Amino acid sequence: MVPTLFYAACAIAAMGLALILMPTGHKVRLGATVLGLAGVAWILVLVIGAIPTGMSEVGPLGLMVLCALVSVASAVRVITHHRPVFSAMYFVLVVISGAAIYVLLSAEFVAFSLVIVYAGAILITYLFVLMLAQQSPTDIGSADAVDYDRIAREPASAVIAGFVLIAVLGGSIFSVQDSATTARFDQERSVRNGWRDLASMPKLLLQQAQRTDPTVARVVPRADGRMIDVRSDSTAIISVERATQTAPMDMILSPSMLPDNTSRVGMALVTKFPVSLELAGVILLMAMLGAVVLARKQTDLADDERRTLAGLGTLADDPSVRSSR
Amino acid sequence: MSGELASGFTIVAGSQISLALAISALLFVIGLVGFLCRRNMIIMFLCTELMFQGAALAMIAFARMRMDVSGQVFVIFILTVAAAEAALALGLVVLLYRRRETLSSDAWSELGES
Repeated sequence: MVPTLFYAACAIAAMGLALILMPTGHKVRLGATVLGLAGVAWILVLVIGAIPTGMSEVGPLGLMVLCALVSVASAVRVITHHRPVFSAMYFVLVVISGAAIYVLLSAEFVAFSLVIVYAGAILITYLFVLMLAQQSPTDIGSADAVDYDRIAREPASAVIAGFVLIAVLGGSIFSVQDSATTARFDQERSVRNGWRDLASMPKLLLQQAQRTDPTVARVVPRADGRMIDVRSDSTAIISVERATQTAPMDMILSPSMLPDNTSRVGMALVTKFPVSLELAGVILLMAMLGAVVLARKQTDLADDERRTLAGLGTLADDPSVRSSR
Repeated sequence: MSGELASGFTIVAGSQISLALAISALLFVIGLVGFLCRRNMIIMFLCTELMFQGAALAMIAFARMRMDVSGQVFVIFILTVAAAEAALALGLVVLLYRRRETLSSDAWSELGES
């Protein structure tokens, strides 16, 4: 498939966005919004159509398209709204619809931490600073918004730069050859990854084995030294020992026993990336210190005031200072 | 190409991945355009958060494609860095606001000593 149509869709969306950003009348703005939405919708349709889809995926795909439209539309509102507080509120909408997409991509843990950290913590900080540094009184109606919020700087060239980037990036989606084979390969590999993660969690592995058969005492390595053998039908075989007999026996685990998202993320966090985890802690600590240093009010005090704050007398009645002069 | 293997373990459709990638590219580009266009310093930093969102979504999509959680772990680190960045950037913005009594980035177009 030639991505010419995709480039056209990008151009339409870019035109819409540029018109929204430019200072124009109400009607032009409305038309530009319709134009931009049409462009974005066309981009999404082309991207979906690039890879053939069976009927069984229409449900989650529809939900995802809905989330996509909500997040893109509110992202545009973030950068076009004249009142900063409203922009921040629209950003909350972007975060929430983004979290919905994460759930659809089965990244539940990250989805919830995204809502908690972004919508709960970071955005509140932004709102605090916005309220702190607000200039105009909070009247409704954008006519009295301050100049630097109303007039965009060079919208045309910025939009052109941005959408050339997206045309180049998005064009790569259409250059995928033989996507069906790739997907099949990925399916096998992804199941293998899941079982590999389970093999690194001995306690959970034992629990899963005991869910199948309560008499299992422990899971032992197989003859080739690995804990889990993955079979081609995405089930897996493990060796177990029962309390009553000593000889290890084979047991088949069904794919429903793969570890869930949260335990896999937690396991990867502490086994694969422990150094990054420590570094993240250091980064947070440094940011806290830096914020404290930055936010401290810097005042110029005279010598006497500084001495008073330090619990000393003024310069005039300090004999040691007078003698040293 | 796709189908339900077991409860909670649906193999994702390729079109779902590419849709997520398209959304992430759009979010990144909108954030970029906003950063270049807006003149309010706080909104400019908000736009960098939008770009973070785009990058994080791409990582989640690729993590789903490979069923490998490394991408999700990196999104957690992105969250950390975004939180640190927000704290520092907003501290800086408050500092700059105290000096010039305006949030306009044009007030700092020549970064000389005030």
